[in-house]
Amino acid sequence: MRAFLIIFHKELRSFFLSPLAWVVMALFTFLNGWLFASMVNAMTMRVSSRSLVYNLFSSGWFWMGFFILFPLITMRLFAEERKMGTIEGLLTAPVRTSEVLLGKYLATVVVYLITVLPVFLFFPIFQVVTGEEAAYHPGALWGSAIGLLLVGLFNVAIGTLASALTSNQLIAAMLTFVFVMLHYFLGFLHNFGVVPGSSWTSGLTYFSTTEHMHSLTEGLIDSGPFVYYISFSVVILSVTHHVLESRKWRA
Amino acid sequence: MIEVKDLTKRYAGRTAVDSISFEVDKGEIVGFLGPNGAGKSTTLRMLTCFLSASEGTAKVAGYDIYDDSIQVRKQVGYMPENVPLYPDMRVSEYLRFRARLKGLGYRATKRAVSEVMDICSLAEVERSIIATLSKGYKQRVGLADALVNKPDLLILDEPTNGLDPNQIRQSRELIKRLGERHTILISTHILSEVEMTCGRVIIIDKGQIKASDSPKNLIRRLRRPGAILLEMSGDADAAGKKIATLEGVQEVEKLDERNGWASFTIATDPNIDVREDVAELVRGENWKIRELASRTASLEDAFVDLVQRGPIKKPDTKAPESDDSRGEEASKSTNPVESET
Repeated sequence: MRAFLIIFHKELRSFFLSPLAWVVMALFTFLNGWLFASMVNAMTMRVSSRSLVYNLFSSGWFWMGFFILFPLITMRLFAEERKMGTIEGLLTAPVRTSEVLLGKYLATVVVYLITVLPVFLFFPIFQVVTGEEAAYHPGALWGSAIGLLLVGLFNVAIGTLASALTSNQLIAAMLTFVFVMLHYFLGFLHNFGVVPGSSWTSGLTYFSTTEHMHSLTEGLIDSGPFVYYISFSVVILSVTHHVLESRKWRA
Repeated sequence: MIEVKDLTKRYAGRTAVDSISFEVDKGEIVGFLGPNGAGKSTTLRMLTCFLSASEGTAKVAGYDIYDDSIQVRKQVGYMPENVPLYPDMRVSEYLRFRARLKGLGYRATKRAVSEVMDICSLAEVERSIIATLSKGYKQRVGLADALVNKPDLLILDEPTNGLDPNQIRQSRELIKRLGERHTILISTHILSEVEMTCGRVIIIDKGQIKASDSPKNLIRRLRRPGAILLEMSGDADAAGKKIATLEGVQEVEKLDERNGWASFTIATDPNIDVREDVAELVRGENWKIRELASRTASLEDAFVDLVQRGPIKKPDTKAPESDDSRGEEASKSTNPVESET
C-alpha cells in the first residue's frame, strides 16, 4: 500500500511535469470544445429527438479523440522504464510488482479523468452563458461521467498492457491505438458490409465501446456496463502483471 | 552474507550462468571479475531478484532469493550496470523517491538523503536535473541510491564503467571506505580496480567460476614463470649461457645489444628469486650491471591465463607454447604494464 502511494504520486508528478501532458490536455479540450459548439449549432438548425448530452457522447468525433488520447497517456508507463533500464531499480526495490502496476495504472486513470473533466464543465458553462434552463439533465451528465470513467478504466488497462509488452513506446502506442479503434468500430460492423442482424454482428457489437454508453448517456445506470468494463479491466491488469513477472524468467 | 548454490540461468538456447556456487562472508569486499558476457550481470541480477534462476538457489542475509524476495531486496543496495536513473528528476528528489520506495519514513528519508549526499559528495548538484549531470555525478547518484537505506550488502555492477581515470580513483577510494561498513560484491572487468579494492576475487568465464581467491594468491598460483629483466655490459653470449645454468632459471632470452650493453629477460620459477645469484655471477665476471629488476606477474596475467586456458591446476607446469592468436595475446600481456617491483 505504501509503495503503491509512492509510485502513484511519482507517476502523477512526472506526468504533469512533462510538456506532453499539457499539450494533450489542451488539444483534447480544444477539440471537444469545438465539437460541443458545432453540436449546439447543429441542434439549433435541426430538431433533435435526443439530448445534447447524448448527441455529444455518441458522436464519432468525440471518440476519435480517444484513439489518440489513450496511446499518448499510456505508452511510456513501462516501455520507457524498460528502455532506460530504470525498471531494474524499480523492481529490485522492496516493492511488489502489483503495487508498481497499480500505482502506475491508477495514476494514469487520474490523468485521464483530469483530461476529460473539462468536457463536463461545458454544460454548466453553456447554461450560465445562454440562460437555457434545460441544456442538460444532471442524471444524463452523471451517467455519462460514469460511462467515461468505465471506458477509461478499460482502455488505460489496455494501454498499460501494451506498454508492458514492449520497450518501444511507439509500438506500445500503435498497439493501443489499433485496439481502441477496433474496439470502437465493433459497433459499426454493419457499416462495413457485415450482414446486419446476424448473430456475429450483434455479438461483436455487444463488446464495442459505445454500446454500453447509450443507456448511460440517457441517465439510465445499468449494472451491465459496470460488470463488463470492470471485469475486463481486472482481467487485462492481471495479464499485465503476468507479463511483468514473466520478464524475470526471460532475458 | 551471500550463499550461492548451483545457481543456473538459461536463456533460450544459451546458458548464461552455469551452476555456480560461491559464498561471501560479512564484511568482505569481493570482486566479481570476468570478460564481457561472462555472466556477471546475470548473476548479480539473480541475487537482487531482478531475474529468476533457472536452477539452484541463493541466500542473501539468510533469506532465499525466490521465497523471500522482498526481504532480500530490503537487505541489498544495488547499483545496476550503466546506472539507470530518471533523467527528468532532480538529484535530491530522486534520492527521496528511492528512499521512500525502500520503505523509509518521512523523517528518516530526509536524514538518509542528506547523509548519502554527504558521503557521495553530491551537495553541489542537489538541485540539478539528473539529465544535465556528468557521467561521474550520475554514477555517484546511483551509489547514493544504493546506500540510502543503509543496506548491509552492496551489489555494484561495473561501478566505474565509463569514468575518467581521476574519477575511477575517487570512486575506488569511496568503495574502499564503504567497505568498512558494508559487505560489497562488485563486478568489473577492470583489473587494477579489483587488485586495489578487493580482498577476494571470483573469476567467472562463460558462466562458470574459474577461481576464487585473494588477488595475491591468484598471482602466486599463476603457472606462468616470473620474469627478470637484466641489462649488462660484457660478453653477452657467455653471460646468457652462464645465467641459464643457475638454479631456478628456466629460459634466458637476449632482447637487444647496443653500444656494448645487452638486455635479457630471464624466465624463472615463480617461487625462486634469482636476482642475487645473477648479480653475483655478473660481478664475479667483472661485468657491469645497469638494470636488474623483477617483473612479477600481475592479476591481469592471472586473469588472461584463467580465462583463456582454463582453471589453475598446479603452479609447476610450464606455460604451454602456442602460436595461435590466443597464445599471442597471452604473451603480450606478459609485458609488464600493471605492477612492477
